[in-house]
Amino acid sequence: MPVLTVHQGFQKTEWTAEAGTPISRILAENGILVPQPCGGRGVCGKCAALMEGGLSAPTPEERKAGTRLICQAVLLGDASITIPQTQPMDQIETGGVEVMPEQPLGTGVGAAVDIGTTTLALRLFDLQTGQCLGVSSMANPQIAVAADVIGRIGAAMDGRLEHLRSMIVSAIETLIAQSAAQAGFEPAKVQTLAATGNTTMLYLLTGRNPEPLSHSPFEADCLFDETVQLGSRKAWLPPCLHAFVGADITCAVLASGMMKKDDIALLCDVGTNGEIALWKDGVLYVASTAAGPAFEGAGITCGCGSIPGAIDRVAVKDGALEVSTIRHQPAVGLCGSGLVDAVAAMLELEWVDETGAMDDDEVTLRDSVVLTQADIRAVQLAKAAIAAGIECLLRTAGVKHEQVQKVYLAGGFGSHLNLNNAARIGLLPESLIPRTEVIGNAALNGTVMTLLRGENLQELRRIAACAKHVDLGGNPVFNEQYVEMMFFPEV
Amino acid sequence: MELYAQISEKLQKGKAKDVKALVQEAIDAGLPAQEILEKGLMDGMNIIGEKFKNNEVFVPEVLVAARAMNMGSQLLKPLLAAEGVKAHGRVCIGTVQGDLHDIGKNLVKMMLEGKGLEVVDLGTDVSAETFVNTAKEQNCQIICCSALLTTTMSVMADVVKTAEAAGIRDQVKIMIGGAPVSEEYCKQIGADAYTADAASAADKAVEFCA
Repeated sequence: MPVLTVHQGFQKTEWTAEAGTPISRILAENGILVPQPCGGRGVCGKCAALMEGGLSAPTPEERKAGTRLICQAVLLGDASITIPQTQPMDQIETGGVEVMPEQPLGTGVGAAVDIGTTTLALRLFDLQTGQCLGVSSMANPQIAVAADVIGRIGAAMDGRLEHLRSMIVSAIETLIAQSAAQAGFEPAKVQTLAATGNTTMLYLLTGRNPEPLSHSPFEADCLFDETVQLGSRKAWLPPCLHAFVGADITCAVLASGMMKKDDIALLCDVGTNGEIALWKDGVLYVASTAAGPAFEGAGITCGCGSIPGAIDRVAVKDGALEVSTIRHQPAVGLCGSGLVDAVAAMLELEWVDETGAMDDDEVTLRDSVVLTQADIRAVQLAKAAIAAGIECLLRTAGVKHEQVQKVYLAGGFGSHLNLNNAARIGLLPESLIPRTEVIGNAALNGTVMTLLRGENLQELRRIAACAKHVDLGGNPVFNEQYVEMMFFPEV
Repeated sequence: MELYAQISEKLQKGKAKDVKALVQEAIDAGLPAQEILEKGLMDGMNIIGEKFKNNEVFVPEVLVAARAMNMGSQLLKPLLAAEGVKAHGRVCIGTVQGDLHDIGKNLVKMMLEGKGLEVVDLGTDVSAETFVNTAKEQNCQIICCSALLTTTMSVMADVVKTAEAAGIRDQVKIMIGGAPVSEEYCKQIGADAYTADAASAADKAVEFCA
């Protein structure tokens, strides 16, 4: 069988695989995770690597990208590959709430984990005192299979469910080991786990066939709210609200406290899927809208995650762009918050008009990091999906903007977002900005609140009971608003 | 004519309200509806479609231009009917069963209408039977299927099979499109054409109807 020699940093490893095996599969099966934001379609060019030897002829996608792509190349004979060094993820929101324990879900040490499509975050607690003993986070290893939930559902239906399940189970094991090491004890001491995530993530975690999530009417055949055995531990899974509004939103709603008041309140979690919840008169209207991964850096020419050197802030100073990067490193790319800032700044400088047309084909932000006309269009599609989702939900519930008393912005992207710039590009309605509160990783916070205080189980069930799902797919109001929101607001 | 050029230009910029006002102006000036449609609206939409094919403009511009086209053609519809204008062909279009994504499908629909074809819009979540029955009952020359999910595109193969079983396969062309669909998939399931974008789809449809 052919041998693939893998160079990674100073390490060199050799693996054998059948001729005809895709390079991406060989790497994934040996634990090397190279993110493929476009889901391995050869479109985004983010998995470029140096490869030589017995490989398939370059595909049209690779010719277009001008480089070999891990997602495209297939091993035919002995070959070698040099994997680019991955930067550690920065800024993954592990959050923090202080909760006095009362009837916790277990005894001893417990862990709360948020299984995001892109990242995992875990916190460890002394269930008696409520003291946080450790935190850890990592990229979701399933990214190697597909970047989005639909891609993973497809892979699971193609017989890779067990592979996906074991990936996430061992990732959680790693996170527990890391955070337990911070506290100086054995991972086996962690007996209780509370795991939140979107509905697909919980399906994959429990090895359940996600086929019902793959087609309309998109009805989940299980919404969890149950305790399952995960290896040697008991894992409690909070209730999901719908096939595409998961337990992460149930927990975020709990953490926001929005249902404790009679006020009309809105909660948004902006990610690849934007989830929106609206509380009004005892009904929690929920919806999800496919924004695409632009705000996570995928599909953007120089887009990247929140890594050192990512441009995370752009402002206008004396008629020019003022740019800063994470940890003040040389600029390597543009992350979500920087992208929103950059577009807002270019609108202010009138380098982009309200229809989204740029004066020049591209603008250099700093060093080799540019923003192109195609990037602006991708931002328009993404922000229109979120803004139209919000508008559609408000209209369904018969709520006018001025009636919304509070907006909670949850999730990692929201935490680093400049709210005024979000309004400037039309991602969020401008009139709601003064009433907007950023609440960080609310999904994880809500999970911690339940892990430590059993009474919150009842509250989560109340949230689930009050939820009313609003379908945005094929919804004429949504479609109309989607086009309506495509332009940038005129000042 | 100055007015037609203005309609075309405003449509390309997606200025729906301006387009509507200009079309009304043209109607009030007594210009024939078909000429307003062809030299104003369709001209603008064709330019956008051409630029879209060449990657000079992107989905957002096409969407807003399509909306402007729609607002203008609403005004013309009753007049066109009164003038007895006939469409160049009839197409039924829909997003396949299990799939609710219709932004792309709506774009193709607008482009088809922009080429003067009559479009029967079946909406989303359309079964193979509905596609085929509609084509049969309403004498459509073309069935256009859209799918955005890898998990639903297999319905397109069912449409081909159902058309065969209904005995209309030789009377109807089946066109497919959507993000996960490819030329290769088109060949594999025995459909007639795959097109990568809305403008190419409209060109192909015109070719089939000729």
